[in-house]
Amino acid sequence: MSKFLLLTKREIQERLGQKGFWYMLVLGPLVLLLLLVAILKAADEGKQELKVLIADPGQIMAHRLMAQEEKNIHYYFIDDYLEMQEFDKAKAYQEFDVLLELNEKVLNNKKCFVFYRDQLGLDARMQLKFQVEKRMEELIASQHSTLTEEAFRQIKQGFVFDFRDLKDPKNESKEANAWAGFIFGAFILFFVGLYGMTIFRATVREKSNRIVEVLLASVRPEQLMLSKITGIGLVALLQLLGWAVVLSLGLLFLQQTVFLDVFDPSNWGEAGPQRLNPLSSLVFEQLNLPFLLLHFFLFFAASFLFYGSLFAVLGARSSADADGQQFLLPLIFMVAFGIFAGIYAIYYPNTTLTEVLTYLPFSAPVIAFITLAKGATVVGYTTTMLSLLILLAAALLLLKLAGRWYKQYILKF
Amino acid sequence: MIKVAQISKSYQRKLVLDNISLEVPRGQIFGLLGPNGAGKTTLIRMLNQMLSPDAGSIYFDGQLLQASHLQQIGYLPEERGLYKSMGVRAHLLFLAQLRGLTKQDAAHHVDHWLAHFEIQDWQNKRIATLSKGMAQKVQFIAALVHQPQLLILDEPLSGFDPLNVELIMNEIKALKEKGTTIILSTHNMKSVDEICDHAALLHQGKLLAQDAVLQLRQAYAKGRIFVRFKGNMLSFANALWTDFTLLEQKERSEGVFECTLQIRGASTMNDLMRSLQAHVEVEHLELLLPSMQEVFVDLITQKETQDV
Repeated sequence: MSKFLLLTKREIQERLGQKGFWYMLVLGPLVLLLLLVAILKAADEGKQELKVLIADPGQIMAHRLMAQEEKNIHYYFIDDYLEMQEFDKAKAYQEFDVLLELNEKVLNNKKCFVFYRDQLGLDARMQLKFQVEKRMEELIASQHSTLTEEAFRQIKQGFVFDFRDLKDPKNESKEANAWAGFIFGAFILFFVGLYGMTIFRATVREKSNRIVEVLLASVRPEQLMLSKITGIGLVALLQLLGWAVVLSLGLLFLQQTVFLDVFDPSNWGEAGPQRLNPLSSLVFEQLNLPFLLLHFFLFFAASFLFYGSLFAVLGARSSADADGQQFLLPLIFMVAFGIFAGIYAIYYPNTTLTEVLTYLPFSAPVIAFITLAKGATVVGYTTTMLSLLILLAAALLLLKLAGRWYKQYILKF
Repeated sequence: MIKVAQISKSYQRKLVLDNISLEVPRGQIFGLLGPNGAGKTTLIRMLNQMLSPDAGSIYFDGQLLQASHLQQIGYLPEERGLYKSMGVRAHLLFLAQLRGLTKQDAAHHVDHWLAHFEIQDWQNKRIATLSKGMAQKVQFIAALVHQPQLLILDEPLSGFDPLNVELIMNEIKALKEKGTTIILSTHNMKSVDEICDHAALLHQGKLLAQDAVLQLRQAYAKGRIFVRFKGNMLSFANALWTDFTLLEQKERSEGVFECTLQIRGASTMNDLMRSLQAHVEVEHLELLLPSMQEVFVDLITQKETQDV
């Protein structure tokens, strides 16, 4: 067996011999699945249930709100003033979560107070505001015109602005998919960062316990560095593969049990499954997971080589863990930069900066996955593959440079 | 076996080795001596091809030192470590294979050395559970498990208790008997006196002396003579006249004395013998050689005096 393989094998065996690896292998995806279930369930039915009491002494609203009320917010009226303290303390009002106080001049001063027991979510606030505001508009319209409420409602129907990309007129690439791709890309950087730290720590440990002096009497420093990156990279890949298997099985299980109704066509209606639960539809229906996974491993390998060599050099440069922390900071910033670049690319997909970021090795993995998850066109896919090639070339160049730096620093104690 | 020809090395403009040339004869134990910072470790790292010289060359068996020669070299660094999570046998197998042995050969050699040091019971222990002395033994085996022709030992005795020092010293001697060439870098001058055939002394990157240990000791002898005689002490003292100074005297038994003398001027051992013959019965006469410790101190002191 060649020395490179021998060193790589040792790295793999050491990591696989650690209990932490196996815990992470099982617990990591399970925690993710639980989070996913929580998010999907929240998207499905997590809206805040509220009982809103409207104190309307002038009976301005005439005990009515909009024709289509929100299912989760229930409105009740009293035709009198209600003091805040009384609402808070009186037994009769304990069942209500919110008090909406409408004074008799509300149509003129356009101000009302909302008292709540528990903090209201943004969604609930928006719904409440929307419902009351619309009702007020109706009332103001009826005061200042001859329009009936029904006629006003007809006029007030909102316009639907359906934005379509000329390159994607069927609107196949969606923002939700872009975010899903972003999560894939961020995952790459997360794992690269996690296992990059392992490379860093392993290098520092070898240096501080001086085994490196024994090893370098048999192998070249570049060989030692590359075997470490390869060994730890393969372990990271193995863990990712494990996560992919556990997550796939978990998703399949969820599909067959928890989210069964999402896949029952009788529940879909005309708009398809996404009407029932857009998030679960995204996860189970719209993302091409095998395609994404294949590219995930390609981008992961290139990114790991790129960042791994930097982590190894920093390890060689450091004489102790604590000493190395300061050098790690710029590298962590680079990883963070990649993530922010992805967010930028979602909001501004067609700017020159996004184009530059697509080819920049630090941000390429995240942006590539945003493109891929949206359902890349031929041009998009070619761009993505080009960015992969650039990333790979940069990684190989960096490996060569890092080998020199590693050699320079590793024997400086 | 090893020829170092006009080697120089600098770190950040500081000259660490300055035009060093030396030869390590095959099958001998070569002491590489010098105070801290003399450049010994740098030279050793060059022999192991961890560092390249800025100038000069190193030859192994007449060939320019190459990576392929590393399989013939064993190295026990001064600051040495092992992977704490590995088992003893697995670790030795790993290092032996790194040195170029096949898995089968490595297993064979490792088992031989574990048995030789009577530590087979440790073979499945994790390195982390070993005491310092036990780990040192494993490191010593790791350096020679691939049966190198050249063994470089940097402070091999540090960390050992006296019993194990004896064990390691005997092992070094036995390796020499089997034909292994050994470079021994140490501050333990007693071990140099005891086992080294040749020695080189480095100081501040320069080679101060290099020769056979006996030659070095003779070259730096201070003209002291040990005498054991039977007779009268007064007669003995009179016989010394002005050519020798009596430094120490001790009556070993009745009428038997042991004395240490210092030669003065150009007098010789023969002169002393002739002077004493008529006065006392000489039982033992010996020119006292300095220890390598004394040679070491003298050379460094001389060098520092010159520099001042």
